[in-house]
Order: sequence, then structure tokens, then C-alpha cells
Amino acid sequence: MPLGPSSSAIHIQATPAGASPAPGRTPTAVTIHPVALFSILDHYLRRKDDQDRVIGTLLGVRSNKTVEVRSSFAVLHSETSEQVAVDMEYHRTMYELHHKVNPKEVIVGWYSTGSNLNTYSALIQNFYSQETAPHQAVHVALNTGIEEGEQAGVKAYVSSPVGVFPKPENCVFVPVPCELRFHPAERSGIDLLTSTAAHSSSPTTSSHPTALPTTDLEVLERSIESVSLMLDRVLAYVRSVLAGERKGDPAVGRYLMDTLGAGIGTGDLEKGGFNASLQDTLMVSYLANLVRSQAEVSSRLALTTLSYS
Amino acid sequence: MAATSMAAALAASLPAPQAASVPAAPTYEAIPASMSKAVDIEAEIPLTCVQIDGLVVTKILKHSREASSTTAHGLLLGLDLDGTLEISNSFPLPNHAGDDDDKTSKSIARYQASMLRSLKEVQADDSVVGFYQATTLGAFFNQSLIDSQAIHQDRLRHGGVVIVHDLSQTAQGNAYFRAFRLTNAFLDAYKKANFSTTSLISHRLTFSTILEEIPLKIRTNALLSSFLGTLAEPSPSSVQNAPPESATTSAITPSFSNLDLGTAGLARNLEQIIESIDAYRTEEGNLAYLGRQIGREKARAEAYISKRKEENAARIAQGLAPLPEEDVQRLFKIPAEPSRLESTLLLGQVDAFAKSLEGSASTGLVKMYAAKASSGI
Repeated sequence: MPLGPSSSAIHIQATPAGASPAPGRTPTAVTIHPVALFSILDHYLRRKDDQDRVIGTLLGVRSNKTVEVRSSFAVLHSETSEQVAVDMEYHRTMYELHHKVNPKEVIVGWYSTGSNLNTYSALIQNFYSQETAPHQAVHVALNTGIEEGEQAGVKAYVSSPVGVFPKPENCVFVPVPCELRFHPAERSGIDLLTSTAAHSSSPTTSSHPTALPTTDLEVLERSIESVSLMLDRVLAYVRSVLAGERKGDPAVGRYLMDTLGAGIGTGDLEKGGFNASLQDTLMVSYLANLVRSQAEVSSRLALTTLSYS
Repeated sequence: MAATSMAAALAASLPAPQAASVPAAPTYEAIPASMSKAVDIEAEIPLTCVQIDGLVVTKILKHSREASSTTAHGLLLGLDLDGTLEISNSFPLPNHAGDDDDKTSKSIARYQASMLRSLKEVQADDSVVGFYQATTLGAFFNQSLIDSQAIHQDRLRHGGVVIVHDLSQTAQGNAYFRAFRLTNAFLDAYKKANFSTTSLISHRLTFSTILEEIPLKIRTNALLSSFLGTLAEPSPSSVQNAPPESATTSAITPSFSNLDLGTAGLARNLEQIIESIDAYRTEEGNLAYLGRQIGREKARAEAYISKRKEENAARIAQGLAPLPEEDVQRLFKIPAEPSRLESTLLLGQVDAFAKSLEGSASTGLVKMYAAKASSGI
């Protein structure tokens, strides 16, 4: 799942199995949790008027060759034409606070908004490399897409020194592949946000940029409706191919055959199985209702019986 | 931050001609007449709605999933404006396990103060408006939640809210967030620390009237909306002749996980109902025992009093001075009536488990018929 327009990121081949992961090896991929991205966007919204970009620290875990960015926090910094300053004390305090809650997450690098990499970026990268030593620091550049002609997206970089003499302000940012990654269990939360976002961007409802979290059944209804719409679309396509109005795509046909073939043998829902499960489900539903009414009656009884005595 | 976000909110809700002038001018100017009713220093406008930011949603999701048990909780930061409580940020609190209470509560207080100061420095909201709590299978009723909310209710503006996030529901494909606060009746009883039967009756308290729900809305700001739009937009894959599931790629693919037929959580849910019913029975047993004890003591006291009265009557008849009657209170220690809070909460828990079971059974039914219809059995 790439984030943004296609990039020239180098997909470095994995080293053969058995090679021990040496500290300080170059990460070959970066994954980002949505919460880190959203924090960056929030920080960008809350920047001061005179700030062109904001920076902050990325926290996460390192595995063999990938860096997993799990969260981020904002760091104060100032950039002028002469100098750049990062509030190191603030960075340390925030890191300690985060560390208390989530000891597994360590500093893995830093983020900035905008896709502008300059000398100051190299200096900040140098600072963060000291923080993450012996590992390399990663840099995530998030383009918020609000400047004209630029597309929103996320890019990740690692740095390598360049020049005859290594100087902190000289370095090459090497792009590495970068993906959005979250746990399947968090999926529905992200769905909630995307549906809210889609809802708020439609012109008719823009004055109410909010949506209520819905109940189980409503979510289910929506999914079933969208599946049924997709089936209609496929059916319309197949009909038009059969009627000769459109030329059939053999690839699509093959996919359809695969999908429908997989659907035939749905394991436990054979005739007997269906009835058995239906009875179970109804029983569970009956039980749940019974328990609820008992609880209600019991709580009411506690109020009434003793008031007469 | 407070001033600027207020100004932005003011600007958004104003009619067009005024709106143009407000953001440009410094925020110190007089408050326009149309907004003067929304200015609410004494927190007099009651809360009618809670609005949480996308950032907070993801933060709660992440923290609840990563914390090992259901003890994930943290603080919510934000502002209220004209009856809507806008929660714009949150941070997790460290899990206080073991150790002595005094030390951990001090360190949490230090942590909290330090975090708030740090957030203020980067212009984030720094006023605490409530807390969030992760739970499973809908059972969030417990003593500690009530206690912390009662503490907040005293100290925070509007009494604070608690946002409950249900992990098991979210894992099944329906992100579950609800906002609650304590009802006035419960708070009154809680302040008096009196949960005897008469108090419950006079406050009309059952488990369903301990907490009241506040409508909850989710908000994504414009920047986040556009970014999410970019992420969800499918773009053709760079790989030629890719299989259909990877022919188009987007960072957030559509998902149909809530159509899963699996009923994995059902057994666990039933177990939990049984467990909490057992706990409730034990608690009821204790209450009944205490009740009998009180009854016995009362009966003894009354027997003593009537005996003393007879004696006195006899003594008066014989012309002797009556014996004093007031030492009954000293002679018989009638135990205080036991608190019914615990049993009420347990009953609430049973109800919540049953409710979530009911919900999963009903969706299960729909899914089964959908699967049956599609497989044509």
C-alpha cells in the first residue's frame, strides 16, 4: 500500500536468511501507523504563522530491516536564514513521558512537513542520528498537499554522508519505500474516519462535518448494500458481454470464474449446518434477552420490595 | 491555542459578512453580538453533544489495542463551545499496576502536569475535559470508572465526560465509541456515600440511571479529510497484469471484514455473562446475610425495648421510678445498612454483556441469511 504518487524509492533486496542483523544496518522499508500521520497533520494545523514547516520525533520499533513508526510527537524548532535550532530539552522530556506509557517505542527518526530537503534537514538528521545511534535515523517527509501543484503524500528517507570530509550539513537523503500499516482490529476505526471524511467533503452536508458512530446492524447493512451493488455491476457487465454489446475481457472472466468457484463450497453452511447454526444463534439471542430482562426486573425489585417492608 | 481555535470556531459559525472580518483581525476585539450567547465563562450552557477529532479516535484505538489488558485509559483535552464539547487531543496515562497507591498517584499527577505543559508549548489544547476507557464486550461498569468520573465531575468544567471504546466491537468491524457522564441523582447519592436501599429508592437509581449517554460525533478537519481522501483513492498499480486484488492500489483499501461469518467471540461472551452473574450472586448473598444480621439485631433491640417498657409499666404500677430507656443505642450495635452500589454495578455489567451478546446474535442472524441467499442452498 504505497502512500502517494509513485516514487523512485529503492527496494533493496533482503539479505539471505541466517545473516545476523548488525546494529546500524540501513533500514530497507518504513511502515507508518495512521496515528503518527494524523499527529503530524494536527501539529501542522497548529503551527505558528511564521513557521513554514513543523518537525517532530518519530517513535516506533525496529525489526530486522524495517522500521515501524508507531507514533510521533511535535518538537519545537525555529528556522531562520542563518540558523536552525531544535529544542532538545523539550524533545527529551516528551520522549521520557512517552516512554513511561509505552516502553517498547524508541526514537527511530524525525518528521517534517513539506517535501523540501535542505541543509537544515541534513543538520536535523545529524542530530537525530546521534539520538538513534547505533541505528540510522529515518526521515519522513509528509506533504500536506495544500500548496498548489503538489500532491499530498508521504516519503521516507535514510541518509548517508557525502563528500570528502564528513560534515554534518552534507548528506544524501536516500528514499526508502514507505507504507501505511495498522492492525486489522483498528480497521473499523479508520473506516469510520474515511466515511466521515467522505461525508464531510460532499457539498450538501459540508455544514455538518460530523457523522455519528453507527450501530452494528447499520454498518452491516451498508456492507451488504455495497456488495449487492457490486454484484449488480458485474451482472450488467456479463449481460452486455453476452448480448455482444461489449467485448469480454478474458482476464475479468477468469477472475469471475475463480471468485464464483470459491463461493460454491462454503464449508459449514450446508443444509443441516445452516439449520443447526440458526438454532444456536436464535438460542443465544433468546438467552441474551432473558438475561437482560432478568437484570432489569432484579434491579427494579431491589427498589420496590424493601420499600414496603 | 484556546484563543485561535475559539476564533476559528466563531468565524465558522458566523454569517458571511461578519465572518470575513473576524479571522483577519486580532482576537482581542469585542465578541460579536451573535456569539455573545455562546460565551460561557461559568459553564452554564449544558452539554448537548460531544465531538471527537479523528486524531483522538486513532490515538484511543492504538492505545487500547496495545495495552495488554482492558486497563487502557487516558485523558481527553479540548474545549466546549455552545453546548458542544470539542475534544481535539488526548494522551494515554501510564498503567498503575502494583506499587503503593500514594507513590503511583503522585507520579501520575507529575506525569500529567508535565505532559500538559509540554503540549501547551506546541499550541495544543491543554485543558482536561474528561477521560477515555477501553473495554471489551460492552462491560465498562466498574468501581474505578465511577470513582474517577466522580472526581472529575467535581473538578472539571461541565463535570467532564468519559468516552468508552469497545475493543471487541471494533475488532468485529464496527468502531465503538460512546460518551457518558454521571447522572445528577447518582452523583448526589455518591457524594453522600449512601447507597442504602432507601437512598436508591429516593434517587430512583438502577444500573441504567447511573450514567447518561451524550450524543457523540466524529469530526475530521479539512486537512485530515483531504489527506484521507488521497489515501483512499485507488491508483493503478505499477505492476503489469496484476491479480485483481492488487491491480489498483490505495493506502486504505475497502474492507468487508464485518461480513465475516465467524462467531469467535460468542463463547467468551457467554463465559463472561456467567462469571458476572456468579459475582452478582455472591454479592447478593453477602447483602442478604448482612440484611439478616441487621434484622436480628433490630429484633433483639426491639425485644429489649418492649421488655423494658413492660418493666417500667410494672414499676410505675408499683409506684417506683421508671428505668431509663435511652441506652438501647449503646447496648445494640445495629450495623449500617450495606452499600448496594457494588451489586447495582454488577447487574449493570450483566446487562451490558447480554446486550453485546444480543447484538452479535442479531447481526449473526442477518449474516447467516445473507450467506444462505448467496450460496443458494
